[in-house]
Amino acid sequence: MELETRPETFSIFRTQENDPACQSEQHLGQYYTVPPSHFHTVFPHGLPPRYQQQVKTFNEGCVMVRQPALELISHLKRADYSKPTLRYLLYGVKGSGKTMSLCHTVHYCSTQGWLVLHIPDAHLWVKNCKELLPSSYHASRFDQPIQASNWLRNFRTTNEHFLSKIKLRQRYVWTKRESTEEGRPLGELVDMGVSRVKSSSDVVGAVLKELRLQAGGTEGGFRLAVAVDGVNGLWGRTTLKKEDKSPVAPEELTLVHNLRKMINNDWCGGAVIATLSQTGSLYAPSSAYLPQELLGEEGFDSMDPFVPVPVSLYSEKEFESCYLYYLDRHWLQHSHSQTEEGKKEMIFLSNRNPSVLERLCAFL
Amino acid sequence: MSASITGLLKPWTPRLFLVRWSRYNPYYLEPEPRKEVYHIPETELTPEQKEERELKSVRPIKAATNSVTSSVFNDPVLSKFVNMMMKDGDKIIAKGIITQTLENMKRKQVEKYHKAPEGKKAEIECNPYAIFHQALENCKPVIGLASIQKGGKFYQVPIPLTDNRRRFLAMKWMITECRDNKHRLTLMYEKLSQELLAAFSKEGNVVKRKHELHKMAESNRAYAHYRWW
Repeated sequence: MELETRPETFSIFRTQENDPACQSEQHLGQYYTVPPSHFHTVFPHGLPPRYQQQVKTFNEGCVMVRQPALELISHLKRADYSKPTLRYLLYGVKGSGKTMSLCHTVHYCSTQGWLVLHIPDAHLWVKNCKELLPSSYHASRFDQPIQASNWLRNFRTTNEHFLSKIKLRQRYVWTKRESTEEGRPLGELVDMGVSRVKSSSDVVGAVLKELRLQAGGTEGGFRLAVAVDGVNGLWGRTTLKKEDKSPVAPEELTLVHNLRKMINNDWCGGAVIATLSQTGSLYAPSSAYLPQELLGEEGFDSMDPFVPVPVSLYSEKEFESCYLYYLDRHWLQHSHSQTEEGKKEMIFLSNRNPSVLERLCAFL
Repeated sequence: MSASITGLLKPWTPRLFLVRWSRYNPYYLEPEPRKEVYHIPETELTPEQKEERELKSVRPIKAATNSVTSSVFNDPVLSKFVNMMMKDGDKIIAKGIITQTLENMKRKQVEKYHKAPEGKKAEIECNPYAIFHQALENCKPVIGLASIQKGGKFYQVPIPLTDNRRRFLAMKWMITECRDNKHRLTLMYEKLSQELLAAFSKEGNVVKRKHELHKMAESNRAYAHYRWW
């Protein structure tokens, strides 16, 4: 899929500032284009599916600069990375733009040269798992080979340039004949995890542990951004069952266990950015959107203290900007949608909710 | 006075029972869903409109059905298509399929538009409503056949069709085509959007069926005088 680059023209809803680090309050409400060269490396798996369809249709990837993302980026710029990691939590009603703000922040982190650990949806690890193998490393835990190997493949695409630079600090033994020695590059570990699907969950655990140890280091130190979408899935219930039909608790899954260790703030040299999500969540009422309701007691205690970042619906300026963008991309085709009457009706029907507006404009 | 009004408003049954009839007393007037009618100021009303307003203030009005809206995006032809596609009264599913079809058509056309070179962009029609209406126009037969009995045998006689009948036939053919000749794994909206785009450019099975009907009518020209209306 080729994404087009366009010549510079002045418009009220677009900005030419495509670098998230240089965006400020004056760009609020404007769309910036993610450069086509970055697109597939930075976002192999993070974007919402409807947005991916939109990128394919419009032949370009444009993201709106909004208040929550700018706030997060300014926190990340000014944080002290020698102290334990700060946890940021994006919360808001369904469809208000939490995942897109997370992706904007991930783009910022990757342009700044951080190592990005992007988990597209933690709920995918606690439901609909076809193969649940008992873990070889720990007797009572369960492995998920398919999910782990998929994630490792996407991780490899995002962080190619880091894989050869980071060296392992410990020897890992996989089976009687296979082991990875100390001092080997991380790329080898990841390749092994992708090819040997059976031990991929343990590889994920090893990768997370290595990155946690080496993130704050002074020699060849890199900053680590852990971006988790749907973090409330890690502390709820799962829909998976063991062979004797008893339910599996989240801590009995290797992937979830290792990810929880990552979200703890006992390491330094990076940041944890998380999003709550009711859409994929299990056993949560559809009107719940606050951290207390979705994380539950256990989740809230583990995440506490965190920096909450509320994501609201579109303001008037943002709605105008979105409307003009759709007009520009020839997406609003109905003759009445281009009139004032139609616009008022769209505001009424969608209540300025970004995802509802998107679905409404899809068939107008 | 009140006795005669209550006499008029009692439950009414017609003398001749039609297939689809409404239980409303003919005394009731139709509702007016369009917003523009109510925004005309007092001074600009014509005498007929003034009379109509007087009448509406005394007569009772029927309840509006769920399908009429005062929305600017309301399209009567599309509503009729949705009703024809509906099964077992499940309008939500039918409306959902139609909206997905419109979205799918628009997506395909907009993608083609953005990838096309500058000269070709003006020819690509992106409006799914325009495509739908044009496709339906292209599927409407001009002349139809009726089975008329003459001398013990039945002949297929070419007859003119009313506008409603033509529209009904076009929609019916479209829906049956999409339901029958579809691969097991293709979804309805995908097949419908393919057929509509084909009909827009005058290709596809539905337009073929219309041409076959025209050919049959042409070949049966000789029996045209069997029609007496």
